[in-house]
Amino acid sequence: MTSVVRKGATSRARLRRRVLAFTATGAAALFVLLTVSLTTGEMSIPATTALRALVGLGDPGDVLVVQQFRAPRSVAAIVAGAGLGAAGCVLQRLFRNPLASPDVMGVTGGASLGAVALIAAGASQTLIPLGALGGGLLAALLLGVFAWRSGLAVTRLVLTGLAVQAGLAAAVNLMIVRFPAELAGSALQWTTGSVYGRTWPEVWGAAGAMVLALTAALVLHRRLAVLDLGDDSAGALGLNTSTARLQLMVIAVVLASLAAALAGPVTFVALAVPHIVRFVTGPPTAASLALASLTGAVLLLASDLVVQHLLPIEGLPVGAVTATLGAPWLLVLMFRQSSPVQRSHA
Amino acid sequence: MTGAPEPRMTGEQESPMAAANQLSTQALDLRYGDRLVVSGLDLTLPGGAVTAIVGPNACGKSTLLRGLSRLLAPAAGSVTLDGADIHRMPARALALRMGLLPQQPVTPEAITVEALVRLGRYPHQRLLSPWSATDQKAVDEALGRTGTAVLRDHPVDQLSGGQRQRAWIALALAQDTELLLLDEPTTFLDLRHQLDVLDLVAALHAEAGRTVVMVLHDLGQAARYADHMVVLKDGRLAAAGTPADILDADLVRSVFDVDCRVIPDPETGTPLVIPKGSAMRHSAASA
Repeated sequence: MTSVVRKGATSRARLRRRVLAFTATGAAALFVLLTVSLTTGEMSIPATTALRALVGLGDPGDVLVVQQFRAPRSVAAIVAGAGLGAAGCVLQRLFRNPLASPDVMGVTGGASLGAVALIAAGASQTLIPLGALGGGLLAALLLGVFAWRSGLAVTRLVLTGLAVQAGLAAAVNLMIVRFPAELAGSALQWTTGSVYGRTWPEVWGAAGAMVLALTAALVLHRRLAVLDLGDDSAGALGLNTSTARLQLMVIAVVLASLAAALAGPVTFVALAVPHIVRFVTGPPTAASLALASLTGAVLLLASDLVVQHLLPIEGLPVGAVTATLGAPWLLVLMFRQSSPVQRSHA
Repeated sequence: MTGAPEPRMTGEQESPMAAANQLSTQALDLRYGDRLVVSGLDLTLPGGAVTAIVGPNACGKSTLLRGLSRLLAPAAGSVTLDGADIHRMPARALALRMGLLPQQPVTPEAITVEALVRLGRYPHQRLLSPWSATDQKAVDEALGRTGTAVLRDHPVDQLSGGQRQRAWIALALAQDTELLLLDEPTTFLDLRHQLDVLDLVAALHAEAGRTVVMVLHDLGQAARYADHMVVLKDGRLAAAGTPADILDADLVRSVFDVDCRVIPDPETGTPLVIPKGSAMRHSAASA
């Protein structure tokens, strides 16, 4: 028993250190990546100059490039990544399914369809993010209506969500096939995910809403933890499980839809980030929900840098790179996790 | 198979004055979809006592417990706690008075014992209230009482069945309710751990004055540990009263379809059900 006690106490201290180390690493990585994203491009700017230009100091040319072209794109990647990380975290716990992501809520399909529908209607570029936002929210609403009769039961939701997603994806493909060639490129970009060409009004709008949604997720974290106990135990603890699940689902959908409005339907971030965080910091807590946001932001910003500067292919969508970057990371963590020493406890 | 026996009600009826934490059902029907699982149940579970609900598989025991704990709304009739309809009470208000351990609780992945038990404080917490000293005290007490304090940092999914069950009981204790419902708390446990859990329940009743309602399979254990016994068959009440008053060979035959003798438990004097020998089994003659 004593060995159990000691092991428990040391593992708790170790876990706390790991959370702190992970947070510090993530924050540092985010700062470095942001600086890199502001300094590199067609015109190289030294780091200090770029950071000064970000707050409006220095050469007006530098200020223009940094403030109007580079910063919005980087901040868009950070905000969208943060939203996707948190949304994946919440959805995977709500669905008790490690494969849950905004895809199963129909959000990505809805966002694609919303954006593509506006492109088809000839709407201006500034309206397209709103189309993605609306499409994501509407698709999730549709799913909610379908699944409401079963009291938002988990398996029913997952199956309905996959059906909704498949239908929306088919509709998107159908529209793109029928598009004239000059619109097809723009549509393709919106259906694979990209933070190219974001402007400040879009970014600030999404960022503000994202902060609200993230705060709500953290405030309701206790309900999420109680829902983890299953509906009977949660109900016996006085939680109205249907209401709580609906609230958390709406939050996750809003987070994912905002991300889709900024970056289009970026895959893999929402799926992989919760696992990456869990492998490092153990069982889910409110802190790990916040860390999922940070990790998502780092992953998406890094992916966008790779897209912009490291790859010789022009106009590659960031979504393609998130998977390429994230998959090996996830595989390494899973490989380490399933090493014989670790397995003996499972 | 015999038809449903007439309910036999014996034992003193608790007066309303003495009956704090008294659950009652009035003409209660519980259904899952089209299937009527519990029908026309009029029942009083005395406050301040340990009640065991027994009956054959699929007789509606667990369903009744879900109905008693507000997890399943009645198709007809009502459930009252000290006279108030529990299905009209706010969920949180009920959760402050009644805790439940489901038959097969879902253990969140990788959660530690203490993190699990802390969730029992949920009904006591407001949306933004921080973790309080009262909360921590309740958790420490629950861990201490269930003997799980030494396991507090241990992941629940790595515990033995008996330890895990005690951790879950600790969660229900941290909820700090006068009334505790336990759905087959001894299933899947070996004899030592079954007795541990039942002794813990007995101590909760004796020392902390909790009212306990539990579903049990073993009639001998039910007779030993319960003050009051409710016997269900096919969703109807077969008998209710003290074990000594109601548990006899006729009841066991009509409810479980088992021929038996009921003798006083040599240890406790409570009724002990001894199934009759058959040619297919070991008999005294062949020993």
